[in-house]
Amino acid sequence: MIGEAHDVAVEPPSIILGIETSCDETAAAIVRDGREVLSSVVASQIDIHARYGGVVPEVASRAHVEAIIPVVAEALAEAGIDHVDLDAVGVTHGPGLIGALLVGVSAAKALSLAWEVSLIGVNHLEAHLYAAFLEEPDLEMPLVILLVSGGHTMLVVMEDHLRYRVLGSTLDDAAGEAFDKVARHVGLGYPGGPIIDRLSTNGDPEAIRFPRAMMSDGWDFSFSGVKTSVVNHMRRHPDTDVGDLVASFQEAVADVLVTKARRAAREEGARGICLAGGVAANSRLRERVREVCELDGLRAFLPDREMCTDNAAMVAAVAWHRLCADGPSALDLGAFPSLRLPTI
Amino acid sequence: MLILGIESATGQVGCALGGRGGLLASAHTVRPRRHAESLTPQIRFIVDQAGVALSDVDAVAVDVGPGLFTGLRVGITTAMSLAWALGVPVVTATSLELLAFAATTDGREVMAVVDARRGEVFHARYRRTPDGMTQMSSPAVASPAAVASSLATSAANRGDNVLVVGDGARTHIDVFRGIDGVDVAPTGFDRPSAAALVSLATPVVERGEFVDPTDVAPLYLREPDAKAKWDPAAGTPS
Ligand SMILES: [Zn+2]
Repeated sequence: MIGEAHDVAVEPPSIILGIETSCDETAAAIVRDGREVLSSVVASQIDIHARYGGVVPEVASRAHVEAIIPVVAEALAEAGIDHVDLDAVGVTHGPGLIGALLVGVSAAKALSLAWEVSLIGVNHLEAHLYAAFLEEPDLEMPLVILLVSGGHTMLVVMEDHLRYRVLGSTLDDAAGEAFDKVARHVGLGYPGGPIIDRLSTNGDPEAIRFPRAMMSDGWDFSFSGVKTSVVNHMRRHPDTDVGDLVASFQEAVADVLVTKARRAAREEGARGICLAGGVAANSRLRERVREVCELDGLRAFLPDREMCTDNAAMVAAVAWHRLCADGPSALDLGAFPSLRLPTI
Repeated sequence: MLILGIESATGQVGCALGGRGGLLASAHTVRPRRHAESLTPQIRFIVDQAGVALSDVDAVAVDVGPGLFTGLRVGITTAMSLAWALGVPVVTATSLELLAFAATTDGREVMAVVDARRGEVFHARYRRTPDGMTQMSSPAVASPAAVASSLATSAANRGDNVLVVGDGARTHIDVFRGIDGVDVAPTGFDRPSAAALVSLATPVVERGEFVDPTDVAPLYLREPDAKAKWDPAAGTPS
């Protein structure tokens, strides 16, 4: 039945409000039929957390409480719809920071109760995997998806809608975490990803040969070694050009990610490679994925940067697929900080 | 006039429906860290039991703390979202005010004390008046010993005993018991309740002292723990 288990074409049309508060973005979006984004509003807390050099959970939770209603109100207004037009509310209920998740879950449950619409708990990882389908609803599967963010690094095979296998994940730091830590150590500020991306354009990615951990070894990743190598290199060669340093670091990370994704695509007979998660916004990573896909005759799918980072449109998209496949969640829905991707 | 009260400042989470005519229905559960799961089903339950519709609610009352942050946010987010979605106003009360209100019917002074963990308590003093509570000291956070010593000092200048109430007094009962001029309230009054919230909110709603749902803010009384996932001050990445 693979390939026909979930035929999206025959499902009833519906308009879903998505809510996302798992980390440091308060987001709400209105999506029609899991694919047409009518609005997507994101209130970022990056400025608030920058002074701490990372996301502070209690600070994030407090900011979510302040932002949640205005963000939902703006999503409705931007979509030009009234709550009576809504069919369901989908909300991220894990994984993520527990205090942050609870704000979104509490709001979604209250809105579902007050407006008498369905409630759907959404897995944040699954939401990232669906970001690509918002731009390209008919992407051919199987698909190898590289989910890389500040909290996650996963190599996933998507066989069909809602059917995944996790090939590998990080054994220590997430890819985005390694960017943040290196940026912090070099004194570049927070968040590290965009800063390193920008500075690398003036650097030589071949200047320093940093280690590629586990490159030809299984499907898991490890980024703690390369981070330590950067720190040690800085200590031994304090005059190193920062552009060369971060470009070489970025190259090492991208090299491992892309090499494994490429091998996975070959072994799994995938039709393409797709990037997801905040690190998917990295220019060098996008470029490398495009290169290998061209060489191997694969489809490279690189969603818009706004869809790669945390947003609620991807949450509403999964909510629609889950509503069609499994029906709504019960009103006693809770938040699960360590929720895992549902796999086959 | 129908008021929905929502209260989740301590280890208990509860809701109640009522107004000038008294209470129609209420529910509460004491399951630590289960506030988010319990609250919305409880609200649906009491609405059904009271034989009303959620759309009949004229105002939402909410306990804004002080209390345990995560649970408190569940109640406040639920209350502001419901009020906003239903298009009705909010009235707020503090957890300390609710404790004092439920514990006394006469004009004696009450010291409300909520457990703030980490060896501290949230506290404030009140007197009951015909139309609610008068605050004698502002909500603040302190060590139980500091609160007890201020009680002992002021007790000497008062005619009647001051009543101490709340889970903060229960947790630190050895500190509060045996002070001259101080009575500790019985166990049934340890936690703020949604039922007390509806009674306390009734005259407030009648006077129209409303808060916009988007302006409801938790009373934290403590700065957030500014600890990131790793320590930037350490210099090297962890
Ligand atoms: Zn994410």
